[in-house]
Amino acid sequence: MSIGRVVATERKPNTPHEFHFWTALDAPVGIGTIVRVEGGATADGGALSVYGVVVEGFSYTDLQSPLHDVLGADGDPSNAVHAPTDRTEIRLYTAHALRHVPDEPLQPVPMGRVHLATDEDIAVALRMDGYLRDGQRTAIPIGVYRSGATQSPVYLDADFLLGPEAAHLNISGVSGLATKTSAVEWLLSSIFAHFPEQKGSVAAVCFNVKGPDLCFLDQPSDRLDDTDRALYAAAGVPAEPFRDVEYFAPWTARGHTLATLRSHPALAHNVRPLSWGLREVLQYAEVLLNKDDVDAKADALIDFIRERVVNQEFSDPILTRGHTVRSFADLAAWFSELLRGMEGRDMESWRTHHVATIRKVRNRLTNISTRCRGLVTDDGTSSDLPFGAFRDRAVYVVDVAASEEDAQDLIFARVVSQLREQLERRTLGVDHVIVFVDELNKYAPSDGPDTYVRQMLLDIAERGRYLGLVLFAAQQFRSQVHRRVVGNCGTALFGRMDMDELATPGYATLAPATRVKLSTLDKGQLMVRHPHFAQPVFVRFPRPAVLGGRDGVERFPAEPEPTLEAAVVRSLRTLDPTITLEWVKQAAVAAPEEDVLRARNRTLQVRPDDVKAYFRAQFRARVAPEAVPDRPTAMPLAGSEFSDPYGG
Amino acid sequence: MGPTYPSTEGAASARDARRALQRVGAFPAAPEPALELLRPDASEPPRLQRAEPLEGDAMAVRAVDGAPVVGIAAFLDGIQQSRVLAYWRGGIPVVHGTVAAAVRLRRDRTLVRWRADADRVDRALYAPRAALDDSVWTSLSTTCAVRDTLSPDERGPWHPQDLVARALHAVQRQREALETACAERWCAAGDGPLFVDGGIAAAGGAAHSPLAVGVVKSHRTLYVDGAALPLVLGLRAGERTTMFTVASPRRAAVASWYLRLRDPAAHDALWGLVRVEIARDDADGARADLVSRWILAERAPLALPDPRWGAMAYGIRLTEEYLRAVSR
Repeated sequence: MSIGRVVATERKPNTPHEFHFWTALDAPVGIGTIVRVEGGATADGGALSVYGVVVEGFSYTDLQSPLHDVLGADGDPSNAVHAPTDRTEIRLYTAHALRHVPDEPLQPVPMGRVHLATDEDIAVALRMDGYLRDGQRTAIPIGVYRSGATQSPVYLDADFLLGPEAAHLNISGVSGLATKTSAVEWLLSSIFAHFPEQKGSVAAVCFNVKGPDLCFLDQPSDRLDDTDRALYAAAGVPAEPFRDVEYFAPWTARGHTLATLRSHPALAHNVRPLSWGLREVLQYAEVLLNKDDVDAKADALIDFIRERVVNQEFSDPILTRGHTVRSFADLAAWFSELLRGMEGRDMESWRTHHVATIRKVRNRLTNISTRCRGLVTDDGTSSDLPFGAFRDRAVYVVDVAASEEDAQDLIFARVVSQLREQLERRTLGVDHVIVFVDELNKYAPSDGPDTYVRQMLLDIAERGRYLGLVLFAAQQFRSQVHRRVVGNCGTALFGRMDMDELATPGYATLAPATRVKLSTLDKGQLMVRHPHFAQPVFVRFPRPAVLGGRDGVERFPAEPEPTLEAAVVRSLRTLDPTITLEWVKQAAVAAPEEDVLRARNRTLQVRPDDVKAYFRAQFRARVAPEAVPDRPTAMPLAGSEFSDPYGG
Repeated sequence: MGPTYPSTEGAASARDARRALQRVGAFPAAPEPALELLRPDASEPPRLQRAEPLEGDAMAVRAVDGAPVVGIAAFLDGIQQSRVLAYWRGGIPVVHGTVAAAVRLRRDRTLVRWRADADRVDRALYAPRAALDDSVWTSLSTTCAVRDTLSPDERGPWHPQDLVARALHAVQRQREALETACAERWCAAGDGPLFVDGGIAAAGGAAHSPLAVGVVKSHRTLYVDGAALPLVLGLRAGERTTMFTVASPRRAAVASWYLRLRDPAAHDALWGLVRVEIARDDADGARADLVSRWILAERAPLALPDPRWGAMAYGIRLTEEYLRAVSR
């Protein structure tokens, strides 16, 4: 049944891309409604169909002046309701064409009858029919389009979401209301459920940059209602939390526990430390050293250290002994002896490196372990993401919410670089990795200094799709993100937007009513741009099936930082549940705190079969302080000449 | 009455008629405004006419007894539009006339089509047959309806403006015929009072139906004698005169009264004044009050931007707009 009729006047003509239609006052049509126009005929006599999405609506009566209505009601609004006849009112809508069938010749939209789009119409209108076909299905549900009684799943094309044709996703919206994190959680569930077998495996690496947002992805939500379940059912996505999730977080500054809000003992089984030693960090020293720090001379020295000093036996006439630098502590010792040697010989340069450059590089490098305390270890132990052993449909959450900005940058740079390198070599373990980053405007701002992290994000955005490295990024203000990063995102989602943001040039292509709708979107609603969609469409998506951050910290409150022994127990129990506080106290009796932490970290890194034995063994290498017993001495002989040394 | 073409067929549209006239060699006329705008009501001079009192012995003023109440179920109106399309040899005007009439039913405060045959649209050419060649008349008749504006025994010569006036009257008669047909159809099958724009005295059977309420907005003939004229002109909003009978040889006798819808204030004394007509059979003071209350209820919403809004019901304006849309 038709719900409207296309109209055009000389003042408001239809074009191939835009048309107008009127409806009854109670027709279920609004901004974002998808309609089908039937009417007109093709040159060969076939039927012509045009699909469009409503972008603007008008309502008016035959009044020429509001004053006439005032006069008619004698100036009293309550009188107006007594009029026996309502003024004639029109609902006039403007729609943007989504698709013409047939596509050629492209002509102005004919005067025809307007119908609400059916499920089949939605598929055709959004060109989803191309990737919903059996055998070539690459469809990923992004939500459900709702209009009246119609509930049609809307699909993205995996080839255009995760590559290789296009890739990347950007989501914008105001904080708290735009459901950016929820949308990404839902979309990841959808991808994991629908990513086509023939395209290989996929995993996700999510950076948790604030609060407990992503800390409970493996825990079920208790907030799903029937509407949510219906949306899950319509999209064919199981309403359940992620089955395979691993968490990674640096240690706190004291090192007793991990710096994450997911510190409840019941959830400790899949939380791993993220800590790097000198070798891992030195590769990404540029991240932490700004351009003023790293001039060409300093860069040359860092390269020298990286290639000739680290992780190998290094000796030089200026040094009193050979050095094998494996940790920041080793590096500090190496620098100290080198500078002492130069001073002793009154040398101004060593191997072409000036003493001032050496001092500067020493300062910058050795304080990295201080600036990134908890992430960077002095002793060289390393605990990392399972590069090379990534699992299909697994989510790896890197919790950097409690880390300092430098540490966040370092983590982001190294993790993403490792992902890229391993994807290039096809050694990561999966074929595609989705990297989710919130607050993109902080990492890839449209203005400000050109940082290593921003360059890396640009690189992913421009070349990642060929590797299977896909960026899902979110931010409050899209206009504040580097244009090349958002421009390379094939798919864009928009939650509720700020009106000031919508006034920026990036949104000029949207009709005014669409912009207003964007500024008033409910939670759970998104506007979707996708390469196959000629116009943005509005969809609903369900609440995530995972426990929300705020609910999670209530149900699993974070533990306060424990004592040293309690921290060790908590960590080692993830490997061996029989470990007790008493046992740890015995095993680490009298050992300095840093030795105990080092022993724990090594145990966690190696994950040995016999945890207790390995942990104990870490203390054997150390010469334990021993109490010196009283030395037996000869007793002076009575009455001898030695009885009184001063003799008498 | 000639053939009536559904508006959707457009068989006798002005464009078709113009082409037919070109084919027979008529000289096309320059585009001009509709004849109704050029010659509005020129035929009837203003006058006073005494009428027989029907309520009391002499005309008096009454306040309508009771508050306005919604009682009207439907609205009837008709429109016409005429244009000279071409001139035959010697300047004989050939006029194209479009007339339409409709009954619009009020349902849920909205006017809707009553039934399929409640709308009538008629398009035709109006010309003096005696002034045209038979072959031309026959040729035009194959394309559209053609109506003779002369009596069978009339012979020329004719003043060209007289021919235009005759065509205009013929179009007007055609409109009245459609309106009468619509009114009779409602009175036979409709449910509730019908608000007729204009008098009902010429509306055939409707003139005797209790369902028809005629509301006359123009007052070229005032049915009062000199003594009662101040009473009519001095009516205040919500007041009516007593009833009187309006009768003429060719029309049915109906009961009528004047009713002031709005105070004239800065307008002339006839502004906001209507003359109501109902069937005389059941006319009494109570019915006049009830019908007046129905009409007073139709004062809102205003019929603006129509310039006749002071005396026009919004339902009639909507019906006119509807007719303009379907007859275009």
